Amino acid sequence: MILIKDLLVKIKDFTLNISHLEIRNGEYFVILGPSGVGKTVLLHTLMGFIKPVNGTIIVNGVDVSNLPPERRNFALIPQDFALFPHMNVFDNIAYGLRVRKVPEDEIRRRVLRIMSILEIDHLSDRRPDQLSSGEKQRVALARALVINPHVLLLDEPLANLDPRLRIKARSLIKRLHKELCFTAIHVTHNIVEALDLGERIGYMMNGKLIFVASPEEFLRTKHARYYINELKPLLKFIVD
Amino acid sequence: MLRRVDFLILLLSIISTVGISFIVLPIIALFLLVDPDILVRSFLKEPSLFMEARHAFITTIEASLLSTILLLFLGIPLAYILARMDFPFKSLIEGIIDIPLMIPHTIAGIMILCAYGRRGLLKGLMNTLNISIEDAFLGIVLVMMFVSFPLIVDTIKVGIMAVDPMLEMVARGLGATRFRAFITITLPLSYRSILAGAILAWARALSEVGAILVVAYFPKTANILTLEWLNVYGLKYAVAISIPLVLLALSLFIALRLLVRAK
Repeated sequence: MILIKDLLVKIKDFTLNISHLEIRNGEYFVILGPSGVGKTVLLHTLMGFIKPVNGTIIVNGVDVSNLPPERRNFALIPQDFALFPHMNVFDNIAYGLRVRKVPEDEIRRRVLRIMSILEIDHLSDRRPDQLSSGEKQRVALARALVINPHVLLLDEPLANLDPRLRIKARSLIKRLHKELCFTAIHVTHNIVEALDLGERIGYMMNGKLIFVASPEEFLRTKHARYYINELKPLLKFIVD
Repeated sequence: MLRRVDFLILLLSIISTVGISFIVLPIIALFLLVDPDILVRSFLKEPSLFMEARHAFITTIEASLLSTILLLFLGIPLAYILARMDFPFKSLIEGIIDIPLMIPHTIAGIMILCAYGRRGLLKGLMNTLNISIEDAFLGIVLVMMFVSFPLIVDTIKVGIMAVDPMLEMVARGLGATRFRAFITITLPLSYRSILAGAILAWARALSEVGAILVVAYFPKTANILTLEWLNVYGLKYAVAISIPLVLLALSLFIALRLLVRAK
């Protein structure tokens, strides 16, 4: 379980304040909110790149608040996937295992297994600039999941994909989550993504976590209304 | 209207041609004025001249290479800190790094003497370590490092800044320490800038003469010897000794151009 308590982060005029948040092991938790409310700041604080003024982050009973990023075992998937451009797909995926000094034959076995789960076996020797957006996303997921992280942090991972690929990517993530049961914190400003993927949704505004709800409960809140109103013209068009 | 534009282009082309010729002419002239007889005499027939020239070239190449290697050790960490971190007085430090570009060369030599010379600020330390920079190989290396420092740091800094910091963040999330992320991600992705910085610094070190004259006339570098031969034997001997140095400088220049084009 991941427990965030009394977290306070200050960056110039911006304040992030999360008083209490619990995420269960194996849960797919989505943080939803408009741009600029502090979703990425929260992820970077969890990763250890931003030092909070106050608060604790506890993972399975261990306080990781003061650990450097490399010792937290949190894997980050940023919006542009950040694949290492000078390495081929295999070496990108193997990076985290090599850093951990895993024997080379085991690295090979684990990398090939995750590549097969993500159906990217045929991309092994390609460089990132030879991949499509969808393939890049799969490689980024494989690279993060192969190290068995305590939690996978996804920062708007579908934002760079076109609508057709987004639907595919959502079903891929759902399938992977079902198969591998990883814990994930996924931040987005897209309600469809949040409702489709999130087992629970945390809604953020102005650096604060306003509430946590199931997708069904979230749809009944006043905050969902903004998103639904935005979709209304589209729904009307489809009904017509 | 068209005529006026054509006239403007013609005028600009003429001015540009004059500008380019101003640079190209001395390079061509140097090669045209080479007297093969003197070249042969100075490098083959007169052993004393040959030995003097050979020694000066070896000193120049050794000192400039050593200064470049030392600058890489000093410059890469500094460039990384300047590219990746924000801290108080950062722009002041960036300004200080660029000072050697602005200082007249002879004054740069005086400054080095004031700091590291026999009567300089660090005289106690230098005496304890039994190190002297006056008329010494070390003095030449220090001068070359001083004048090349901004070129190598600024070039590498720009290269590191062009590497997406998110790549390092992802690497650290995957378990790499900051140092490992630097070695495995940032360094390979900025190696062209590091190489370009090293070539620029090396070329700058090769061309230095004013500050070296002040700090260490001996052992003579190729530039100092060129000046000496100009004064003692005249232009034709100075031309003869200039050729190898010009060829080396031009090769470095071509290497740099190829590197930039490969980017």
